[in-house]
Amino acid sequence: MNVDIPHTRFRLDSGIDVVVHEDHRLPLVAVNVWYRVGSGHEVPGPTGFAHLFEHLMFEGSAHVPPGAFDHLLEGVGGSNNGSTSTDRTNYWINVPACALELALWLESDRMGFLLEAMDQHKLDVQRDVVKNERRQSYENRPYGLVWETVTGNLYPEGHPYHHPVIGSMADLEAATLDDVHHFFRTWYAPGNAAIAIAGDVTVERARALVQRYFGSLPAGAAPPMVEWPSAALERPSELVLEDRVQLARLVLAWHSPVHYTEEDAALALLAQVLADGKSSRLYHRLVHDEQSAQDVSAWQSGAQHGGAFEIGVTAKPDLGLGVLEAAVREELERVVREGVEEAELGRAVARLEAGFVQALERIGGFGGKADQLNEYLMFAGDPGYVGEDLERYRRVTPAGVAEAARRWLTEAHAVAVSVVPEGRRRLAAGAAA
Amino acid sequence: MPQRKAPRATSRARTAVREERPLDRTRAPVLGAPVPLALPELSRFTLSCGVQVALVERHDLPLVAAEVLVPGGASAVPAPSAGLASLTADMLDEGAGGRSAVELARLLEGLGATLDSAAGYDDGHLTLLALRPRFAEALTLLVDLLRRPDFDEGELDRVRRERMDLALQLVDEPRAVANDALSRLLYGPDHPWGPPLLGTRATLARLGSAEVAEHHRQRYHAGNVTILVAGDVTEGELRDLLEACLARWERRATPPCTVPAAPQPDCPRLCLVDRAGAAQSEIRVGCVAAARSSPDYFPIVVLNTVLGGAFTSRLNTRLREEKGLTYGARSGFHARCAPGPFVARAAVHTPVTDQAVGVFLEELERLIEEPVPDEELERAKHYAALRLPQRFETVGDLVARLAELSLYHLPDDYWAGYVRRLMAVDAARVREAARRYLDPRRMTVVVVGDRAAVERPLRGLGMALEVMPGAAP
Repeated sequence: MNVDIPHTRFRLDSGIDVVVHEDHRLPLVAVNVWYRVGSGHEVPGPTGFAHLFEHLMFEGSAHVPPGAFDHLLEGVGGSNNGSTSTDRTNYWINVPACALELALWLESDRMGFLLEAMDQHKLDVQRDVVKNERRQSYENRPYGLVWETVTGNLYPEGHPYHHPVIGSMADLEAATLDDVHHFFRTWYAPGNAAIAIAGDVTVERARALVQRYFGSLPAGAAPPMVEWPSAALERPSELVLEDRVQLARLVLAWHSPVHYTEEDAALALLAQVLADGKSSRLYHRLVHDEQSAQDVSAWQSGAQHGGAFEIGVTAKPDLGLGVLEAAVREELERVVREGVEEAELGRAVARLEAGFVQALERIGGFGGKADQLNEYLMFAGDPGYVGEDLERYRRVTPAGVAEAARRWLTEAHAVAVSVVPEGRRRLAAGAAA
Repeated sequence: MPQRKAPRATSRARTAVREERPLDRTRAPVLGAPVPLALPELSRFTLSCGVQVALVERHDLPLVAAEVLVPGGASAVPAPSAGLASLTADMLDEGAGGRSAVELARLLEGLGATLDSAAGYDDGHLTLLALRPRFAEALTLLVDLLRRPDFDEGELDRVRRERMDLALQLVDEPRAVANDALSRLLYGPDHPWGPPLLGTRATLARLGSAEVAEHHRQRYHAGNVTILVAGDVTEGELRDLLEACLARWERRATPPCTVPAAPQPDCPRLCLVDRAGAAQSEIRVGCVAAARSSPDYFPIVVLNTVLGGAFTSRLNTRLREEKGLTYGARSGFHARCAPGPFVARAAVHTPVTDQAVGVFLEELERLIEEPVPDEELERAKHYAALRLPQRFETVGDLVARLAELSLYHLPDDYWAGYVRRLMAVDAARVREAARRYLDPRRMTVVVVGDRAAVERPLRGLGMALEVMPGAAP
């Protein structure tokens, strides 16, 4: 089974990379814009700013009054959103094909003329919105603070991946209008952006329209280089969080390879072998047979300058996490010692393969074809990388999985975060039984 | 859509760009008319066992989606057995057709197929998504789950305990606490929709393999199910595959499923569930509203778009974009086989809880008091109508649209008339629907938040306040 997103790529004089993919199944078109800036680029500076800035991008620009961005798009049945990661910020618009020009007008106006319409009120309101996002998604959610505890201990203070994308309340509070201007000028130059268009449009028309709306934008200054220090754990790190939860949960995290490498693929497949589906090793042992865990999960999240491999296990009521940690480590040792079975690996690849084909069904939104083109362009250097990406997983061998597990997991230190019900620290991993 | 009939070169997107027109950034571009969605062809046939099958062929990607729709769901289960429909659906893959749960999982995962089973308020369902070369084999496994589940006592005991422990976990999830409290208040403890779909720890404890097997016997048979398929399979292929594994499937009489009428409160209610120290309050404002078959369905779609169905709707505009009180506010009418709930929702910063509740109630009142202005009404109608193509994008979307027709007895030309019926809604019909379904005097408000901080301000709203104890395990 082959996967492919046929496309045409070109670059405007302003330095913007453009990729176009025709898909005429439905009268829809997707416009997707990536900027090479994420929370990692905030350092040094207030945390959470890249994401707060993303919010401001929807609040209007020189020729688009406040509120009009969403009003105009929703008025033609469009949808739009954006997201910020450690490495990049992406924006997408899905509209009926007849509204492509509207989407490009809006995107080019905020790329070229955002600051002319920026003001303190917009900043203040969106700052409050983001603080509520932080409360809703992290502070008022069970286990919600575990992720920033993991990255905060996996990476040293000052490292671009140390702090959470959402930022701290204090830093959000401190962000100023000057910061907004400075950030836009530094990171939102057209030369630091890429546009992908997918859907019911011809390459010729897309090229002409992109040239029309983006061709005259000045390239802007090249963004500064950010230092990405290497990071490694010199000793194991054990943390306990008391939270308003009924069941204790352990999260183990290790440094792991950057994305789009062979070892990244090996560890992604290992994560599936360990915890994806009812036949996976940890599920079968802990949830099904021993019934000591309520749920298990594992994932490899490779980013541009480093990765994290994480395993999560939620204990059954009143059960301590020490036993679960021992079982997880035992299973990792077994992978290193005995490898994984060809059949297990085959099952993991079969599911990935189906996922790659399914990902071709949607033109837009997060993970749709336009988003994939930009992702591959920006991080693999080739918008047409999707087929090679799948091959990367197909090339993984049982020996490769065992070797990656040895190098990155069993012979490396981990951050272990125990989340326990309030007042029950004795349930934590590492606590005296 | 597979445009087997409609030529695709009709798109306005293909007309040449008028290069000579100078770019004027001060105005939004003038757009051409949208191209209507060319609806895919639907075929129906009946298997020898009597089961109806609906198919939409689409051959652009090697994918097939299928759903076995089992009408009933939680609606068919009395409140004291709440959770039975979900538990039954969940048990289907825990051993079936002579294979253990793990053997089944290995086979399905090896096929790269995704097979899920779950139950909602009106139905149970098995859904399958597979690559074309592996669809036939995955479908035979699906049929084993459907027809020959083991319901082994040991496996059931484990799954039931998992679900009881999940219920335990949810007492700390403010969104779940708020949703469950609202359903309980709207429908009461004796109505099948009062308790959560998952059931409660008390109801789950009563469910054994006898109950599960009996629910399966009553609902999962040839006399009650419909099969919906979309994707890279032909009608001939599908018919042969299904006949091979369903030819002699037994039909039984299905017990009638009548959902009792919900109580209608005659005064507004305000309930506070304590969550000490919470950074935010989870707010729900709701009432029992309309069934899917209601003649008000299209006015309701427009009404809800104006109020809280989209980003630019009134609730999100006021609570998020103007004031920054929340990350987002939304509303929805959950139309079911009988009148389902209307629910408006937001999580707001604790100190502004009373202010936010006030905004919710004001916006309901405003829809009753004032007609929606033309420009806003048109935007809402266009929003709902022009999004239709996005709901037909994947084979999974197509199966979901077919299931909607089947479950709610909608005609095959329903989607063809969808845009016309939406666009025919006027301000008077919207206001009439608001009067009927959004009367603040019949609303139930639930707040899950820090009692010490929000009780006194909430009392200032002048509604009778009932304080419920914090959610307990």
